[in-house]
Amino acid sequence: MRVLVVDDSRAIYTMVKEMLIDGGHDAYWAADGQKAMDFLKEEKVDVVLLDWNMPVMDGPTFLKENGKQIFTDAPVMMMTTENSPDYIKKALSLGAVEYIMKPFTSDILFNKIELVLE
Amino acid sequence: MDSEIVYKFFADYIYKNTGIVYVKADYYRLDMRLNAMVRELKVDSPKEVYELYKKNITKEMHTLIVDLATNNETYFMRDKKPFKALTKAVLPRVLEKKSIKGSNIWCAGCSTGQEVYSILMSIDKDCGKEVFNNVKIDASDISTNALSKAKNGNYNGLEVQRGLPATNLVQYFSQVDDGTWNISNDLKGKINFFQHNLLVDPFPKNKYEILFCRNVLIYQDIENKKTILENFFHALVPGGFLILGSGESLIGTNLAFKQEQIEETIIYEKIDEKALKSLPVTKIESAC
Repeated sequence: MRVLVVDDSRAIYTMVKEMLIDGGHDAYWAADGQKAMDFLKEEKVDVVLLDWNMPVMDGPTFLKENGKQIFTDAPVMMMTTENSPDYIKKALSLGAVEYIMKPFTSDILFNKIELVLE
Repeated sequence: MDSEIVYKFFADYIYKNTGIVYVKADYYRLDMRLNAMVRELKVDSPKEVYELYKKNITKEMHTLIVDLATNNETYFMRDKKPFKALTKAVLPRVLEKKSIKGSNIWCAGCSTGQEVYSILMSIDKDCGKEVFNNVKIDASDISTNALSKAKNGNYNGLEVQRGLPATNLVQYFSQVDDGTWNISNDLKGKINFFQHNLLVDPFPKNKYEILFCRNVLIYQDIENKKTILENFFHALVPGGFLILGSGESLIGTNLAFKQEQIEETIIYEKIDEKALKSLPVTKIESAC
């Protein structure tokens, strides 16, 4: 499975990449929403993991843009430290299909991926 | 003193009081639990714990060992399919026979509550408010600590992400603080939690239409399993359903259940004994 991690933190990307590789998946990185959009116009992925706060284009803006142009039909899952119900509801209303709150474990990551691919 | 004597003393006590089997190969797990007791009782070694228990076992000491001996591994929507089997097939069949669209359900071995709350969330989402409002649900566990957490309904950020879709999180939980979520009173208020030891406490007769007991019997030996399953059989009404864990079965028993696979889940329907003579019954027997 091909997973795009959209997060401005290289450390987070490295951690998630190791989890994904251990699970037999391929990981790709975009450091903000704009880079993710550019990547997705060229490449297909199965799941997108999206941070909330990023420079250039943040997670909610990426979701809004994807709602207008649909540059990916892959399920988009938030992966963020923002953990209040209002944030979760907002992300779901903008088109995110799941929500992972940091910190999380690889069990949770794979369980959530399984949920969105059902 | 030989540490084997210490392990055997606690393994015997745990078996006698909970039915949970610790064979020699499991003594390393027992050791972890004894070290937790060392910390709890503020003594220096497992041997000192042993000396205390040899002298006298108070109610609090009994509770401590039972709580530590039980494995409370659980999470929301564990295995997913049994909850689909419940709402897509089992509950509709129960409701077909009733004028009031409700049901009596028992979640035996509910641990810290995730299983019973998953049952209620599934019913609410899939079966509608009328059914949800008329369902009566009992939930029991042997562990005082686990029951207390289940009743309280507080879960941390990791617990609410294990198995639980985000839509359920925002629908059924409120955030207490940055790391704690509390399940809604609508769910909590529907559940009658009680302490129950499946080996020694009395069972109700002909009470439940649905009985969930998953991943509890795997810790019991064959004889205890048979006793518990026989009690479950009598606790169900004729036509009632038993749902066990994926690694558990009725093998070794000779109870009048009809077995069926729905949503990749084996469900056991109690045959109406009055109709036994006229119905073909699959009795499950084995060489165990």
